[in-house]
Amino acid sequence: MTSLSIVTGAPGKYIHWGVIQISVTNATIIAVMIVLFVLALVVPFPTHDDEQSKPSGRSR
Amino acid sequence: MTAPASGLSPQERVDPKNWTNKLRGRIEGLVPPGQALPARQPVYVASWIYVFGVLTLASLVVVVASGCVLAMGGVAWWHVSSLGHFFNSIHLWSVEMTFGFMVVHLWGKFWMAAWRGKRALTWITGVMLFGISIGTSFTGFLSQSNFDSQWIGGQAKDGLNSIGAGAFFNVLNPGQMLMWHIVLLPLAVGALTLVHIILVRRHGVVPPLDAELEG
Repeated sequence: MTSLSIVTGAPGKYIHWGVIQISVTNATIIAVMIVLFVLALVVPFPTHDDEQSKPSGRSR
Repeated sequence: MTAPASGLSPQERVDPKNWTNKLRGRIEGLVPPGQALPARQPVYVASWIYVFGVLTLASLVVVVASGCVLAMGGVAWWHVSSLGHFFNSIHLWSVEMTFGFMVVHLWGKFWMAAWRGKRALTWITGVMLFGISIGTSFTGFLSQSNFDSQWIGGQAKDGLNSIGAGAFFNVLNPGQMLMWHIVLLPLAVGALTLVHIILVRRHGVVPPLDAELEG
């Protein structure tokens, strides 16, 4: 066996909130997904300037 | 659906018993002409929220490709080889990205009620894909060939045995779980993904709620 370890030594860190128990990693991933979702709604989508100037403006 | 005349004899075009003819007609009729890979989309598609479906698909391609590389080395390869460990990490993180993109895609489609306009089957196949993908990842956890997979199998057996599923789906059998992970479930995911994409191309991308109200 090489130095690549099968067993990670340290236990994960958990958030305890009433009946809810979640690892910090999972909570972070969920938070990132929510941020990504909000950004997808508010960040403007890049469009081609030359396309915008065309008369048929219904398509990008 | 009319078949293109080029390359077909008159007999081929009119023979209703020719199963090749019928199959071709069905395949050609799956999506409207020109909609299989359209280069232009309606203006409302110019939003980042519409990108997450194809991001899910792109990361799924990486999942399958890295899984194929891992299949050549075997389940224990990543324990003894830095190259195997690299591809195992590619596999893990592409799965993480697939699920992350899929969840954002799901949220976006839920809040725009994407089942509108005869798109119910598109929604249903998407939900099924989500469920089967979770099953695929769970059998992947059982295929790590380490103490983590042993512990997960030990925990999962009780729940599955309580509903009788343990009789034919034994999570303590690493060989069976590996076959589910690399053959059966990927086939189901691949087939359903194909159906899902065909349905999206068949019915088009769902318009935003306000666009439909205005129309």
